[in-house]
Amino acid sequence: MVQTQAAMDAYNAYWANSPLPAADVLWMVVILIFAILALWQARTFVSEF
Amino acid sequence: MDLQSLKRKEHQKRVKKGFMWALFCAVLWGLWYLPGTAVWVLNPFDQMYSEVAASSGDGVALVIVAVLITALNAATVILALGVWTGVLGKFGEMKRTAKEFHPCSKWFFLASIFGGPMAILGSFIAMGFVGGAFAAVAALMYPVVGAILASKWYGEKVTKRAFIGIIVIILGGITIFGGGVLSEIGSGNVLWVGYLGGLMAATGWGIEGAIAGKGLDIAEPDVGLTLRFIGEGLIWWIIAIPMLAIAGFPMIKYAILAFEPLTLMVLIFAGITFGFCYVSWYKSFPLIGVGRGQGIGNLYGLFAVIFIFLFFGDVPSWTILVGGALCLIGSTVMFSEDTGEMESLRGD
Repeated sequence: MVQTQAAMDAYNAYWANSPLPAADVLWMVVILIFAILALWQARTFVSEF
Repeated sequence: MDLQSLKRKEHQKRVKKGFMWALFCAVLWGLWYLPGTAVWVLNPFDQMYSEVAASSGDGVALVIVAVLITALNAATVILALGVWTGVLGKFGEMKRTAKEFHPCSKWFFLASIFGGPMAILGSFIAMGFVGGAFAAVAALMYPVVGAILASKWYGEKVTKRAFIGIIVIILGGITIFGGGVLSEIGSGNVLWVGYLGGLMAATGWGIEGAIAGKGLDIAEPDVGLTLRFIGEGLIWWIIAIPMLAIAGFPMIKYAILAFEPLTLMVLIFAGITFGFCYVSWYKSFPLIGVGRGQGIGNLYGLFAVIFIFLFFGDVPSWTILVGGALCLIGSTVMFSEDTGEMESLRGD
């Protein structure tokens, strides 16, 4: 199913009022950063304990 | 350095790591609200909601769409945890744990029943029949249930200081969502099933934590959590979705339609945040105890508000700022506890 114009408008409206630039992409970058950080800490944890 | 100091240093390091994992849980849980909110307006869920609401009403439509989103979320969480387990090189351990059903994996499958259909579905029922703020407050109560159960069942020690910290964080959470709860309850015509949903959420996650704490005595958290989500995935995809489809709801049709690039991408990010937050939650339990792990994990309410402000631009009201301050005080009370108090997490 292709997204309708109404669905895309509603989706884009979420990020429209963000004080951050390119919030529609930045939220994914932030998630990836925290995910990689958590994985790295998990690797460190395995080697430490 | 003598043996005693070495032991103390090692213990302090474990406690520090335990709080770190509980904080990771809170941050990632807060981040989950971004894809978890945005996915609702995307198709096919938007269209599914309209179709079900037209025949069964808004409350039922919300729960039915929530079941499909939760089932798809569980599937993407399993994928994310597959990556996590793979990177940590624990597939062999997972096979071993899964085979040992009686001593090990039964706890995680039991945890999946309480955490999945009971807590998550309860939370969605509360959201659908009362409101989002009430569902959030109800869920915040789970560390009290978890701490009491872990204490009664296997004698986990919850110090007075830790308990005060948990209560202050809960009060902070109630202040964050309190205004919304009053207006939701004040609007009248709230069905009792909505309150039952809230109770299901608080007790479900509390019981899950206590059960997981028991299972984690003999299993790895990374592996245990992956098995728990495989259990939840089976419950949704083998039992719940087919049963709802038989009852006449268009589950299969919309599950297939969910294979759309943007919807899938948002679901995958929901899976990464939810899966990694949950595994961090489980990792904190053996290190600082179920009560503390769940208490710090409750800071998700504060992080959700911060991320929603940063990415959605929703400016928080003063009650949210007061609640946030209470959350910070509660967590400081717990962080600053003398680690010697946690030398033994059990009452021996």
